[in-house]
Amino acid sequence: MAATMKLTRAESRLFLRDPIALFFGLVFPGLLLLALGLFFPGFDEQTADLAGKRYIDVYSPMALALGLATLGLVTLPPILGTYRQFGILRRLRTTPVHPARLLLAQLWVHGAVAVIAAAIAVIVAVTAFDVPFPERPVWFVLAFVLAAASVFAIGLLVGARARTTVSGQAIGMAIYFPMLFFAGMWIPRTIMPDGLRTVSDLTPLGSAVQAIEDAWFGATPSATNLLVMLAYTVVVGFVAVRVFRWE
Amino acid sequence: MPVIEVENLVKTYNGVRAVDGVSFTVEEGEIFGIVGPNGAGKTTTVESVEGLRHPDQGVIRVLGLDPIRDRYELTERVGAQLQESRLQDKIEVGEVLDLYASFYRNPADWRGLVDRLGLGGKVDARYGDLSGGQKQRLSVALALVGSPEIAVLDELTTGLDPQARRSTWDTIEQIRDDGVTVVLVTHFMEEAERLCDRIMVVDHGRVVAIDTASALMDRLGSEQRLRFRPSAPVADADLLGLPEVVAVDHRGPQVVVTGSGNVVQAVTALLTKHEVVAEDLRIEQRSLEEAYLALTDTPEATNEGEER
Repeated sequence: MAATMKLTRAESRLFLRDPIALFFGLVFPGLLLLALGLFFPGFDEQTADLAGKRYIDVYSPMALALGLATLGLVTLPPILGTYRQFGILRRLRTTPVHPARLLLAQLWVHGAVAVIAAAIAVIVAVTAFDVPFPERPVWFVLAFVLAAASVFAIGLLVGARARTTVSGQAIGMAIYFPMLFFAGMWIPRTIMPDGLRTVSDLTPLGSAVQAIEDAWFGATPSATNLLVMLAYTVVVGFVAVRVFRWE
Repeated sequence: MPVIEVENLVKTYNGVRAVDGVSFTVEEGEIFGIVGPNGAGKTTTVESVEGLRHPDQGVIRVLGLDPIRDRYELTERVGAQLQESRLQDKIEVGEVLDLYASFYRNPADWRGLVDRLGLGGKVDARYGDLSGGQKQRLSVALALVGSPEIAVLDELTTGLDPQARRSTWDTIEQIRDDGVTVVLVTHFMEEAERLCDRIMVVDHGRVVAIDTASALMDRLGSEQRLRFRPSAPVADADLLGLPEVVAVDHRGPQVVVTGSGNVVQAVTALLTKHEVVAEDLRIEQRSLEEAYLALTDTPEATNEGEER
């Protein structure tokens, strides 16, 4: 346990020394909301485009999902690819500490950054644009944790096999953009055609956006959305652990 | 007392026997060298000793431990420096040493270690900013930070300039003086000759010889070679008439005489008799490099470090 803590501290320091990861992983979701709200005309007004909702209400949960996807699919896989490429995982195998501890440390670091990034985004939405504070906080936290777990499981699977930094980046990106699309980044779920929304429900990020939005605005998240995220977490996480290569 | 015993080690990759029946023992407190051409099976052998690879056949005992079954205990007592392994560019020297020290139950004082390895001024430097020699010395420090009884160092000086290489050699001798047994994989014969108490030559996955450097050189016979520029022509027949001379060769104005026994005295006496002066006289002894090349069937020693 002491080793995991030491590793987590070391990996946190390294994360803080990476300005790009820091920007996109930590501040980008909040900053995006702020920029959209300030510069996109009518972003915080009700609109017929979204069946009476405000863009800011739809994009606030989206921003949280975006932050998770960025951390899980853009930041995490290349780190694991690098650690494999450099032989860092292999080097750890020659010490009394199993390299699984390093993975655990990475997940802790990414989880902590995800929580802080989400908090910043929520604060921006609540203080700048009159979005209510999440109305069902317990469901909200549960939805967020499941969302994080499912997205990180996918990132771990990518990182389980990525031989290099670059392959980790490439595969991560190839999943990142389609996931954001199905989550409603460009066509909000509210106005998605039914077929597309069904597909969206079957992706972890689509379910994440819906569940977080539900809890934020006072509804109980649907069992379907929660189960989809849980299923990805368990199945993909299991496969990731099974196929993980230490070298 | 042997601290490492390897018996009939076999490891096959894709149907090719990378290691084909290797046996050797390493005695406590010695520097044991493993040399051989690329792909000879050196790295596979030491990585099996470290427990990183599962051999197909054979028995390995390290400090009485089975590297696979007693993995945890082995990692506490054997320090490793892996070929082509790097660290995170942005991690600081002091941070990584402190981190790795925390992994072991009896860590060495890493500050003392960095001072001795000449990294004392670099504690706050990031790994990515270190020179090649400094990175290698840090890698040695990490191999030693758990106070191991055995250190396995794989191609420690590959890619270093001659000066960095020599200072790394001093480091290795210090480690041995501290009572640590060292297993050194190298393809620099000069390095093996200078450092190793015994040298194992491997080729095509088999052990070709295990002996001291001087014994390996003796296997070539005690041939010597004289190279000089005669002030006046000397007939080959006169030189070949000497019982000590085996061969006479010409390289431009230079004469190269190969022979054994008192060949140097015999040739100089002959030249004096003919009133010929041997200018630029050089006497060459057979080197470990030549012994190595004779033992392995490589056309020449290579300088690349890729091996599986």
